[in-house]
Amino acid sequence: MRELRIAAVADIHLGEDLRGHYRKKIEGIERRADVLLVGGDLTRHGTIAEGRVVAEELSGLPIPVVAVLGNHDYHSDCNQEIIALLRDAGIVVLDDESTVLSIDGVRLGVAGGKGFGGGFAGKCASEFGEPETKAFVRHTKEIAERWRRALKGLDADHRIVLSHYSPVKDTLMGEPPEIYPFLGSYMLAEAADAEGADLIIHGHAHAGTEKGVTPGGIRVRNVALPVIKHAYTVYCLEGDDC
Amino acid sequence: METPHYVAARVQRALAEDDRTAELGIRVDVRGEEIYLRGQVSCDERRRQIENVAREAAPGLRVHNEITLVEVQEAGEEEHL
Repeated sequence: MRELRIAAVADIHLGEDLRGHYRKKIEGIERRADVLLVGGDLTRHGTIAEGRVVAEELSGLPIPVVAVLGNHDYHSDCNQEIIALLRDAGIVVLDDESTVLSIDGVRLGVAGGKGFGGGFAGKCASEFGEPETKAFVRHTKEIAERWRRALKGLDADHRIVLSHYSPVKDTLMGEPPEIYPFLGSYMLAEAADAEGADLIIHGHAHAGTEKGVTPGGIRVRNVALPVIKHAYTVYCLEGDDC
Repeated sequence: METPHYVAARVQRALAEDDRTAELGIRVDVRGEEIYLRGQVSCDERRRQIENVAREAAPGLRVHNEITLVEVQEAGEEEHL
């Protein structure tokens, strides 16, 4: 089994004003990577027009592209339309589900979706009190449960979780601690730790840091564009021959 | 004079909620009659719009636009996991 080269980026926030810019930076990506994972906040306002720009920038690459949406992509209530137009452009969009790509006979499983917030163990919201608070926490809980099911059924040589929100605090370092509950939730990490994965990719925390690890030992990488400062970063998952 | 704390909060909300900006990651500090904007965006037009929205949300204050442009380079180095 050969090594897999995973290109990853998040928070590209494309719009009319950036049309063509991102595409120029990823030309030739097939020489450096086998797949491109995009961890949400593809747009600024989540409009269909912005979604079309994203589809143009990411479609027709010689390698597969797998994406999830982020909170910005929900802002105009067109998230389902954006998912549909990205899928029409040949991009695999995960909405709390999984996919398996075959790359030179190596099966790469990717599971995930937008994720959500709530905070981290010991300093997190609970499903208690007002309906609004319960709904907030329940949303993350339900997402984590769907990820757990998606991972459980994922038969692959390597498994990656792709999210927008962060599963750990490590990669939020640099952000104000007061907003951590809006940047991620430990429940996302708990789901991945329960079922196992080789890597978790996320974005959302523009002022955070790149590298972290879950309590169960899964490597976490925050690939928000302002963090990595490159069009993408490449992570190599070792094969048998390494 | 309005409390600087509330002015900063109002500007920060305006930057997030105004359709011209939709920016959640901009730090806003108010010191006396001066307002400081810090963060990163990907083009000059976005940087200018943030300044415009901040000016409208805090009329009469002097805006210091210290937002930097993210210079996106082609590809980063590889990491072997």
